[in-house]
Amino acid sequence: MIRRRSPKVMRLWDWSLPPTSAHREVLSIVPEGWHDEPRATRKPPLLFIHGLAHGAWCWREHWMPAAAERGFPTYAVSLRGHGDSGGRKRIGRTLLRHYVHDVMQTITELPQPPVLVGHSMGALIAQLVADRYQPRGLALLTPAPIQGAAGIMLKLARHRPLDAAKVVAGGTVPLRAEDLFTGLDETTAARYVDRLGRESPWAQYELLIPKKIGPVRAPVLVVGTPDDRVVDEAAVEVTAETYGVDPVWIPGIGHDLMLDAGWEKPLSVVLDWVDDRC
Amino acid sequence: MTHSDTEPLDRGGAWAVIGAGPHGLSALKALLQAGIDADGFERDADLGGNWNFHAENSRVYESTHLISTKPFTQFPDFPMPDSYPDYPSHWQVHRYFRSYAEHFGLLDHLLLNTEVVRVVPVAGDRWDVTVRDRATGDERTMQYAGVVVANGHNWWPKIPQYPGQDTFTGEIRHSAQYKSADVVRGKRVLVVGAGNTGCDVAVESAQNAKETYHSTRRGYYYNPKYAFGRPSDQTADLMLAMRIPLAVRRVMFKATLRLTVGDFTKFGLRKPDHAFFETHPIVNQQLVYYVGHGDIKPKPDIDRFDGATVHFTDGTSADVDTVVFCTGYLAKFPFLDESLLNLEGDHPVLARQIFTPASPTLVVSGLIQPDSGQWTIAHWQGVLIATYAAVQATDPAAAEHFYDAMVGEVDVRFTGGTDYKDSTRHYYEIAHQEYLQALERDLERLGDAALVSAR
Repeated sequence: MIRRRSPKVMRLWDWSLPPTSAHREVLSIVPEGWHDEPRATRKPPLLFIHGLAHGAWCWREHWMPAAAERGFPTYAVSLRGHGDSGGRKRIGRTLLRHYVHDVMQTITELPQPPVLVGHSMGALIAQLVADRYQPRGLALLTPAPIQGAAGIMLKLARHRPLDAAKVVAGGTVPLRAEDLFTGLDETTAARYVDRLGRESPWAQYELLIPKKIGPVRAPVLVVGTPDDRVVDEAAVEVTAETYGVDPVWIPGIGHDLMLDAGWEKPLSVVLDWVDDRC
Repeated sequence: MTHSDTEPLDRGGAWAVIGAGPHGLSALKALLQAGIDADGFERDADLGGNWNFHAENSRVYESTHLISTKPFTQFPDFPMPDSYPDYPSHWQVHRYFRSYAEHFGLLDHLLLNTEVVRVVPVAGDRWDVTVRDRATGDERTMQYAGVVVANGHNWWPKIPQYPGQDTFTGEIRHSAQYKSADVVRGKRVLVVGAGNTGCDVAVESAQNAKETYHSTRRGYYYNPKYAFGRPSDQTADLMLAMRIPLAVRRVMFKATLRLTVGDFTKFGLRKPDHAFFETHPIVNQQLVYYVGHGDIKPKPDIDRFDGATVHFTDGTSADVDTVVFCTGYLAKFPFLDESLLNLEGDHPVLARQIFTPASPTLVVSGLIQPDSGQWTIAHWQGVLIATYAAVQATDPAAAEHFYDAMVGEVDVRFTGGTDYKDSTRHYYEIAHQEYLQALERDLERLGDAALVSAR
């Protein structure tokens, strides 16, 4: 088990070496009239957290408008050094704790506690955030393994040793269209891959290390796909087990399930779960 | 005033939270998050407690800023905005508390303008709480499963008495009535006390008054807000994070002060009569500066008053128009039989500064004077109280077991190995990290107790 039984109180590094601030890009679509609805019954905000080398834009493409159409206020933050957020020059010195800081700052600007929806590395960050903040719900999509991504790294080293060497040297994990998508036409896939940016080497190294998470007092959803070429089924299962839930499997879609053809299916799984459980 | 003879309204398993300052708000939030129904009561028309500038019992003045920086001062699950400076002003702090309450939906559970007038224990460890609507004067009584007392301890002025004080021809006020420098402008002023308020007021007086004298009982260490380009409290926490022992930290802090500020005695200040960390830290970079400019004249303790003249214990004297006693506050609980709080002399002695031996369902939040920021501690006090309340509701045996363990440690203080100077301001002094380590262990214990009992 990668869980603590009680919350972590002592956060010495947060107190003594607090993260610096960076400009944040936060995209949002809020359905008209949502703010006037009674707080107790209106749909909770969804806060989307992107994965490695992505940006808030990946949610804006399909999921945000579609979720807003179903009545959800939707927000997506670009972590520092990603999308149109600041901190690009300092990305070489950026740690996961900086990303956690960016998400916490975004949360305090929301009118009420959101459901955190994290993808890949963003799902890991969502868990680190939930370790200190009680969200309305925690949805983890093809989550970066909480037990550490050493397995993924070894697989990469076996199949694409040159790519693995690049990552060890501090380069961004090379994500190709065939890693992320199963059913997109080449032009669209290429357009998305083009938008991927740099990732912090330190954040990537940190992904290799197992994380400890305290009690999370919120409903948890874990979504995986058997056709994921980045995070395999076994890794998804460990995350699900950590929270005592069964993963929901969505076959036929790639790692980037918010961009790949068939994005409607995982979105409706998430939204139905929010309606039902959060 | 109406006083009905009807039965109190039974609020079932709900808890009452008295006060909507940072400790009341965080306790209310933690209870609601733990699934415990709760009502918060605030006598003022707005939340914020001491930080609600316009409230009758607010003791902040126009220029008040935090003396600790954001990272340890803020609620850990609701950080202050990045746009705030290292040391935010009380206006910003108040806005912060408001957005905290709005975000977590506390306003729906908060009764403003509602003063708690009586809290009385009844059978079954339950509590009758009588509140008065301050607009209509109407009173009503509700019954709760438990009560969180978070009415603050920095509002009841402690005013000293010196020989001849009644004959003093000038004006005497307590810092409780000091809201801005207007009251000292152009006057000859004596500021009494070297707490953080005393030093702030002395500095403001130096900037605005004709003459400023500053009377203190002993010499102190005046810590800078910044040293070597970093906020001092963060450096202190860094040293704790690196587990540097107290003796070494003392040497390092003294060396830092020596290097950055210099020898206090060369400015005419007295040599501290105590080791570093033995008094509540004073964080004020400007006081020494104004002493160096002769705008603040340091004086020892007052000996006696005589007409417009104040005589000091070193035989010197000064003629002054206004005396500002920055001599601190005493904790008061006017709605409660104070013996329920295990009084020792004039102050409560509580396990973890929270639990009283008198009752398992009466807890206090905020009766602390940390050597650093406060609201990280407010958060965890709230979490511990709420977790305890939740365990009490679901597993009374486990809660009782935990409560007995707590009360057994009622005399344990969290001093970080230092021997605080005897003064009323140190009744509630805690070393912040040592105290939080204890709360972390308590939360583990509470979790384990519930687990064991569930088997």
